[in-house]
Formats: sequence, C-alpha cells, structure tokens
Amino acid sequence: MVNTPAKQRTPARRDPKSTRIFYLALAVIAVAGIGALGYLSQRPRAQVVTQVDSTLPKVQSNGYVMGSPSAPIEVVEFGDFECPQCGRWATLTEPDVRTRLVQPGIVRMRYIDFPLSMHRNTWQASRAAACADEQGKFWPMHDKLFETQDEWNGIATRSPDDVFKRLAGQLGLNQQQFNQCVDTRKYQAKIQAHEALALQRRAEGTPTFVIGNQMVTQALTYDEFKKLVDQALAKSGAPLRTPVESGATKGATKGARKTPAGQ
Amino acid sequence: MLMALVALIGLLVSLYLTLYKLGRIGTLACGTGGCETVQLSRWGDFLGLPVAVWGAGFYVLVLALCLAGLQDRFADSRGLARILLVITGWGVLFTGWLTYLELFVIHAVCRWCVGSAVMVVVLFGLAWWDWRTVTGGKWQVAGGNDGGR
Repeated sequence: MVNTPAKQRTPARRDPKSTRIFYLALAVIAVAGIGALGYLSQRPRAQVVTQVDSTLPKVQSNGYVMGSPSAPIEVVEFGDFECPQCGRWATLTEPDVRTRLVQPGIVRMRYIDFPLSMHRNTWQASRAAACADEQGKFWPMHDKLFETQDEWNGIATRSPDDVFKRLAGQLGLNQQQFNQCVDTRKYQAKIQAHEALALQRRAEGTPTFVIGNQMVTQALTYDEFKKLVDQALAKSGAPLRTPVESGATKGATKGARKTPAGQ
Repeated sequence: MLMALVALIGLLVSLYLTLYKLGRIGTLACGTGGCETVQLSRWGDFLGLPVAVWGAGFYVLVLALCLAGLQDRFADSRGLARILLVITGWGVLFTGWLTYLELFVIHAVCRWCVGSAVMVVVLFGLAWWDWRTVTGGKWQVAGGNDGGR
C-alpha cells in the first residue's frame, strides 16, 4: 500500500523496477499455490489405505452383524455414532452397500463401536444402540441415530438419552425395557470392550473399515468401497459375483444377526 | 505490497481448507487430527457455507483492495485505507471468535486455521500502519476532500 504521511499529500511514486518484481513475486506465488492445490486435489485418495498387520489378534467381539454368514467378505467398521463422517457414510453410502453388496450375499458388515473422546454424547448413543439390539433392532436404531445426529450430539443437547428414548418409541421398542436399559447403562462394559478392540486393531479414527487385509479410515464413496471389496474378493479366491448373478437375499439386512467373528 | 502478498498466501490457505472440507484433499474422518475435528464440527460452516469459503472471500476482497491501492489513481487514498482497516478489523474479530471456539468449545486446534489467524492479524497491523500513515490517525469520514485519495 502507501506510506506517504498525511501532511504531505503528494501521490506516491513507485519504483517501476520494484513494482515489476512485486507483480512477478505475486504471480509466482499464485501459480505455485494453485499448482500445489491442483496436485493435491487430483492425488488419488486411495493412498490412505494401509495393510493390516497380520500379527494383530483376530477380531474377537461379535459386534453387530448384517448380512449372510456365508458371505465371502466380511467388512468390519469401527464407527462412532456422533462422528459426522460416520453419519455421512451411513446415510449416503451404506444404503447402496446394503442393496448392492450385502443383500446379494457378497459382503457381511460388522459394526463395532469406537466412541471417540472428542464426542460428548457418543457413549450414550452406543449404549442406546446396544439396548435396541437387545430387542433385535440394532440396525434400525443405528440408522435413526445417524439420521438424527444433529438432534442429540454434544452441541445440541446435554440430555441425549431423552432423544434416544423418543427414537425407541418411534421404532416400536418396548419403551419400559429400553428406558431401564439406558438408565442403568446396562451395556457399558460391552461398549468398553468394543473400544478396546478398536484401539487394539490400531484404528486411528472413524469410520475405519477393515476389508480383507486392508484398512482405511475414511468415509468411503460406494466406488471406493467396492474397489476394496473387489480386491479382497480377488485375494480370497472367491468367485466375483454381481448382484444379478447372486440374487438378493433381502432378509439378510433385517435386524442384527450375530455370527462368529471372521476377522 | 506486503499486504497483497500476505492476502494471496491467506487466500491459498483458505482454498486448501475449502478443498479439504469438500473432501478433495486429505482424509475426511473423525479423530485423526485437530483440523479434522474443527472442520467436521458444526462450527465448520457459517451461514450455510464452509468457514474456509468465507475466509477465501475475505482474502480476495483484501487482495483486490491492495492491488487497487497500487494504482496511481488510488495511491494515498484515505478512503481505501479506511476500508482496509475496517475490513481487516472485522477479520480480526471473526478470527478471534473462531479461535475462541477452537480452544473452548471444540477443544481442538487446526494449525492451518492458526496460520490464517496470524495472517489476518498481520493484515490488520499493516492496514493500521497504512491508515496512520495516510491519515495521520484522524478518522475523517464526513467533510474533507477525500476524492478517492
């Protein structure tokens, strides 16, 4: 800008050479910056996929399972009900995954709680989901919790259990049983076990997916998810099946079915 | 000139954060770092747009005004100096509010946001210095022959 004192009201004259250098520097910074941003935005995001350490113990917890016990691929999701990116995955991508991969019997999803300390109400949400599971409604509650995240998260309220009880009513759960389950923190130890498992498996954030021997912490798009599933299928030697070939088993997505851990 | 350079760097940082928020750069996941926590919190948006977009708009405005100030027509413009002082002053207040949210509400700090905050404060300091130089520290809004100067 300018630096002529107010009392000397004469227009500032700039050295043409320094002005040229200034514009040159401005152009260099702009080009370098835009080039760097362009490079970063074009770089494939799949680079964040890491190989699972084969020395890690197998997943021992049942978690909550959706899909056929005979599905060739099991995907473990370490999720946090209050995490916005888990909500993005659950509401935008997971419906496609269920329709195109779980129902046809290609993939079995296993959800394991990984409540992050930064989220004030996530433990209550995990306990509420476990209480819904007690009545066979984990997945409907799972979906409801993500759909209504803004109504009960740590910023919206300090009494999330009131919201969860309302959601339980909407899902047709036995209200008294659910309320008692929530109020007594009946499944606190179960959630703690899930959290311990996530840490043991070196999940760094949520959502973290373990697909075959690969692990990725990211709200994947359907295409990104399918690509990893295809890679796992190729490594497992299972025949690559399309939804049309395999036929949908619609009942596979109903309720939470527990099967022995496969990972 | 220095203000323009700082504003340009600030603009690039804001564009980076905007691309990050849109999921084009880096990993959008919870719990993997301060920037993720801040960006994914409800405070990552303001009036329906990512805060980084507002920041980019701010830096574009400051950059444009600085480049205008380099033209002979606006050299020594008191009006321009006043506008820059007001805009960067508003930027400091807004940044202060965001920093407060990071420290006391979200409980996470994004280093890119901190970098941007430092640049906003530097811009305000430079705008203050420029305004003092041009006007002698007198806020002459009414009267006087500003005439674009």
